[in-house]
Amino acid sequence: MNDSKLKRFFQDFYLVFVLIFLYAPILTMMVLSFNTSKSRTDWGGFTLDWYAQMFESSSIMDALYNTLLIAFISALAATILGTVAAIGISSMKKTPRNIAMGINNIPMLNSEIVTGISLMLAFLAFGISLGFKTILLSHITFCVPYVILSVMPKLKQTSRYTYEAAMDLGAGPVEAFFRVVLPDIMPGVLSGFLLAFTMSLDDFIITHFTRGAGINTLSTLIYSEVRRGIKPSMYALSTVIFVTVLALLLITNFSSEKQGKSRGLPLTEAEKAKRRHVENVRKGLLVTASFFVVAAVSFTTYRHFASPASNELYVYNWGEYIDESVIQDFEAETGIHVVYDLFETNEEMYPVIEAGGVAYDVVCPSDYMIQKMVENDLLAEIDFDNIPNIDQIDPEYMERSKAFDPENKYSVPYTWGTVGILYNDKRLEELGVEPPDSWMDLWDPRLSGEILMQDSVRDAFMCALKPLGYSLNSTDPGELEEAKELLIQQKPLVQAYVIDQVRDKMLGEEAAVGVIYSGEMLYLQELAEGKDFHLEYVIPEEGTNLWIDSWVIPKNARNKENAEKWIDFLCRPDIAKRNFEYITYATPNRGAFELLDPELQQNKAVFPDWDSLQDAEVYQYLGDEVDSLYNELWKEVKSN
Amino acid sequence: MNSRASRFLAGPYILWMIGFTVIPLIMIIVYGLTDSEGRFTLANVAAISSPEHLKALLLALGLSLASTVICLVMAYPLALILRKKNVGKGSFIVFIFILPMWMNFLLRTMAWQTLLEKNGVINGILSFLHLPNIAVINTPWAIILGMVYNFLPFMVLPIYNVLAKIDDDVINAAKDLGANNWQTITRILVPLSLPGIISGINMVFVPALTTFVISNLLGGSKILLIGNVIEQEFTRGSNWHLGSGLSLVLMVFILVSMALMAKYDREGEGAAF
Repeated sequence: MNDSKLKRFFQDFYLVFVLIFLYAPILTMMVLSFNTSKSRTDWGGFTLDWYAQMFESSSIMDALYNTLLIAFISALAATILGTVAAIGISSMKKTPRNIAMGINNIPMLNSEIVTGISLMLAFLAFGISLGFKTILLSHITFCVPYVILSVMPKLKQTSRYTYEAAMDLGAGPVEAFFRVVLPDIMPGVLSGFLLAFTMSLDDFIITHFTRGAGINTLSTLIYSEVRRGIKPSMYALSTVIFVTVLALLLITNFSSEKQGKSRGLPLTEAEKAKRRHVENVRKGLLVTASFFVVAAVSFTTYRHFASPASNELYVYNWGEYIDESVIQDFEAETGIHVVYDLFETNEEMYPVIEAGGVAYDVVCPSDYMIQKMVENDLLAEIDFDNIPNIDQIDPEYMERSKAFDPENKYSVPYTWGTVGILYNDKRLEELGVEPPDSWMDLWDPRLSGEILMQDSVRDAFMCALKPLGYSLNSTDPGELEEAKELLIQQKPLVQAYVIDQVRDKMLGEEAAVGVIYSGEMLYLQELAEGKDFHLEYVIPEEGTNLWIDSWVIPKNARNKENAEKWIDFLCRPDIAKRNFEYITYATPNRGAFELLDPELQQNKAVFPDWDSLQDAEVYQYLGDEVDSLYNELWKEVKSN
Repeated sequence: MNSRASRFLAGPYILWMIGFTVIPLIMIIVYGLTDSEGRFTLANVAAISSPEHLKALLLALGLSLASTVICLVMAYPLALILRKKNVGKGSFIVFIFILPMWMNFLLRTMAWQTLLEKNGVINGILSFLHLPNIAVINTPWAIILGMVYNFLPFMVLPIYNVLAKIDDDVINAAKDLGANNWQTITRILVPLSLPGIISGINMVFVPALTTFVISNLLGGSKILLIGNVIEQEFTRGSNWHLGSGLSLVLMVFILVSMALMAKYDREGEGAAF
């Protein structure tokens, strides 16, 4: 083909365009990994801190370890299983072979969500509790087809006579296989392994459905962080992985370009190039994968020696809901080894405790969920003799807790707060809108595209039930219908339904108003300092939700005394103060409160007066039927 | 090889497939066709016709079709260019297209938020150039962009693999017989690369149709696709039977694409890797 210069220019231009498209997000991520500010939208200066934190964070390192281990084991198992199966299938008669290949193709062609769900249903139906092994089984299942796919063509090229010749020359079938057949199909086996490794590494959806509580791969950890705001150390880890892979590929590419000679029959230039290409791809991926395998193995050994423990405590808490150094101090002081797991929502936590697959010793749910757990007899009574620091908890909160734990027998308050509206004063002025004081201000058409709503059923309905004059615990279908209509009316004005992303978006001046938990205030005000706008928090006049997150001990806890030590430790004023400073959600701890700066004590957004909370209600558990009614109505809002 | 004996080598994997592919699929059918008391019902499948589900399905179909078409239009010329560039230059260029897949896809998609937001990177550049800003984030356009971004390599690779196998002599013969560039592409290259195209379409359309992650991250949770509905039925613990029933509806689309694959790509030439 004769290329004109112009044509070649257009081709190069197009190639560069696609490359920018593919790499722009990756570059963005790399830049963010050096950003001092925790916020995604705010450049605070250059730092390497996130790289240090990445190595210190046990959740990231655990997830990395799980990811590599699962990828390695499942790729290895899939390769062995798949290679053997490919040999078997290729020697079948036509019809059974087609059937076998058809079934083999299902996991590859089926959508991941269906594969994931079907595996989850099967595991549960056969009483296999979800966890590391179910992820592994699922990964092997979707990896084998890729192995078969890459081994099959090689088998077709292999002459069967070589195998028979080897047998004629006195080799046994096993020897003949390993010395004659295997070397022939080796390239296919290797690329199958690499493909399987890559697929397992990158999988999110199937892991999402088949993982049990408390086990994360990098993908699922990132997904849980998306809601709470991704920690820049995650960007740091990705940058490290990316640069490593890139470097390995570059090295192998250059070294093999030099020695690209082929053995055997003379080949045309094009054939040589193609062969070299295949060779390069394989080598590059092989080196990369072996690097990760070495990393995984050394990591395993390290962890094997690093993990002690007979005296344990299984803690199940919200993400980002403790100062991690507090856990280390607890371990140092008591000699108890803490196994620390995370959940994202109350709804996700509940079935885990109910199923009892993992016996957690201490859990931190919210008010209405504690009520549900009490009603369903899942909680153990706490022995308050073991918790002398309980008198540090302000009696007012024990009183409020009676809404869900009537005799104060099951729970010890950890944090509390309200839900309100956060607004950007500068943006509102530009729009000519006065600061909000009612939930109905979220229905102001002048704020179109400037509103951030909470993406959770109860909170969203609260915003509509309260201004209608109904209780946020309403179970009346008529009232709920009205609230639904109101939310549908509001939807065109809403920019997005988010959970913790409110923080980033408000800081980045993406929106003028957002529904937010009071605990986020301090963090936001700190970050917004020195900017040309203020972020203010109001509790609307119609009243709001007052929520309390408390520690409880499940009935099936194996280390109840350790759990009580844990609760007591967290009630110590200096510890409660450290946790407060880290998570910035208001503490019910009197002792900790007294240790705070007077300025902070006066901050009404974080510590409102009780008088101003006259109309505030605590969420209550409304029963399964009403729960699903809420979900149904919420789906109608979202799909409208 | 002694084919009778080696046939049994497939045994372990056949058992595996029965245990981890066939039985799970049967489970989803059982769940989809029963209610919470275990009685047979078609209600879960019929639920697709309720307005909120139908809307989610149609929207998902529309968005995934659009992104499949865009991927194809972007990928085909790209594969042609790559085919030409590749000769003598090793495989590095192809690597460039696989490399992003080693980055976690959730993070890559998140990064698009940062790029597209109202005060995001792209609008920053546009303002600097005194150009009008774009308002794409939290709209269906952002979802299409996310789909194209995530699935483009799955369109490029199978097409490229098939194109790379076509002998230069075939093209030269066409030219010698008087075909111009356009005719060479439409009459020779496209028909010969059909297995790659079909496989690419499958590998983009099916995941795009069923995604729930991209719509969540780039649609601001305002846009509900059928994948989101199913995911929520399962993870928010509301109704597994309904979720399974709706999954069965999705499987119809998957079966259609499998049939297409079987028709056009018997030899597995269109494999992406």
